[in-house]
Amino acid sequence: MKCDRQTLPIAAIREENSSLRTFTFHSKLKAEPGQFIMLTIFSQGEKPFSILDVDEKSFSMTIKNMGPFTDRLFQMKVGELVSVRGPYGQSFNRQSGSILMVGGGFATPPLRFLAKKLREDGVTRLVNINGARSAEDLLYVDDFEILCHQSHIATDDGSLGHKGTSVDVMEKVLQDESFDQIYISGPEKMMKAAVAVAKKHQLPYEVNLERYMKCGVGVCGSCVMDPTGFILCMEGPIVDNRTLDSLEDFGTAHRGKTGRKTAL
Amino acid sequence: MLFLGKEISTPLTLASGILGISFSSLQRVIRDGAGMVTTKSLSIEPRIGHEGPVIAEFDGGLINSVGLTNPGIAEGLEEVEKFKRGIDGVVIVSVFGANAEEFVQLASAVNDSSADILELNLSCPNVEDEFKRPFALMPDKITEIVSAVKAVSNIPVLAKLSPNANDISAIAALTEAAGADGLTMINTLGHGMVIDAVAKRPVLRNNFGGISGPCIKPLAIKLIHDAYKVVNIPILGTGGVSTGLDAIEMMMAGASAIGVGSAVYDHGLDVFKSIREEMEVFMDTHGYTKYSDLIGILKEN
Repeated sequence: MKCDRQTLPIAAIREENSSLRTFTFHSKLKAEPGQFIMLTIFSQGEKPFSILDVDEKSFSMTIKNMGPFTDRLFQMKVGELVSVRGPYGQSFNRQSGSILMVGGGFATPPLRFLAKKLREDGVTRLVNINGARSAEDLLYVDDFEILCHQSHIATDDGSLGHKGTSVDVMEKVLQDESFDQIYISGPEKMMKAAVAVAKKHQLPYEVNLERYMKCGVGVCGSCVMDPTGFILCMEGPIVDNRTLDSLEDFGTAHRGKTGRKTAL
Repeated sequence: MLFLGKEISTPLTLASGILGISFSSLQRVIRDGAGMVTTKSLSIEPRIGHEGPVIAEFDGGLINSVGLTNPGIAEGLEEVEKFKRGIDGVVIVSVFGANAEEFVQLASAVNDSSADILELNLSCPNVEDEFKRPFALMPDKITEIVSAVKAVSNIPVLAKLSPNANDISAIAALTEAAGADGLTMINTLGHGMVIDAVAKRPVLRNNFGGISGPCIKPLAIKLIHDAYKVVNIPILGTGGVSTGLDAIEMMMAGASAIGVGSAVYDHGLDVFKSIREEMEVFMDTHGYTKYSDLIGILKEN
């Protein structure tokens, strides 16, 4: 049963900043970093959200308010019912050795989940770069500080850490040190730039892609990427360097709600 | 084998609505072992379709209410051209119009494309609020639309029928009489509803949807057989096929080709290869040398 649903009350809501909140549910979800769930608000709709964390009896998602659906979600209170199905998709393939994580904006929660798991795995070195527009947009600064051997911060406006992007910091870090694996999660333009840097250093990487999704289980075709017909909801959203090379749509085009393709 | 004059390596066909938006997914289904692919139903203007959830699962299959999401005929046919440039496969373009004039307009647009076969979706159950009763339940509408399209189309025309019709034999016969070159049957059944008991709500955002999957296979087989007995045009059989034996049974009932849809949900795209292999094993075991030996050979008790 791919559509096993859990209808649950919201157990906790935590405000991360003015546009981001973390919603926690008290139920077990067997998920790995990079996977996502489909969340239904009754009478409203259903959207995919990546998973921030799971433990034996709860799971949570950090969600940005960016449209009518999340507007409605942000009006909801603890105790109100929503429905969740999943987890779906492929997770990050966790490697051993030395690891670099490069994150941007509100796409960093899966990297926090990944960092936790990598430390449980016992990786020898874990370095994180956390980038955002300004200090107040940075997520989980303290958590990354605790979870990683080294944690860098970049803000576009210089309000905290390095003034510039996480990719700028990535270039600097890679001048001094090499890594066995890089994990990248951020806006697609930022990931495209990070991929170029990783390629220059000939290091393996995985990225966390996003496309419009409707069914979440590989049948509706909304999230398919050209030219290979890669079904992102099922075969992604985490994509390795080899597969990514075959996806011409990466950094260039996506399909909207009707299936119409437009430039990114 | 031949289907409506097109050479196909296997009767297995991607049914409309599954992964059918982009050339890349259609090509992929051909590479994964289908002989033909059907696009999502294209309308004149792009359609967003219904809000999610658009799909709900139950023990016997699925209900869905996608609401004819598609990028519109112009964009859809561009995908068909890209499909044809990259692979040798038969493509059925499914279209949906609000009336006979729109169907004619859509058929004319398809004439100017590389599409092999045109399928008229006369039977979508999920847009009744918008378009009222499906045309496939109204004999005069079927006659009007099919004959109008046949007057302009320069490729073979399939009419997709509904399992909700009262008398499928009569509907099949009049669809043939209106000039259809073949029938696609059946579209999804019902409406059905799946309820979330905790929330006291239907699971689908649109409350109800068309039923598909293994539970509708016996109905599809019976209706295909009923139609087969009264028409001389080929039938593209769809409805709950997920194994080679399902496909064999449906061909014995009268189908010349077999559409696969919901099985992709259960088994992924590998399902085309597995159905194909299972069909070959059955045919070898029981002495059938070609697919056409199977069509309509059922003997009733």
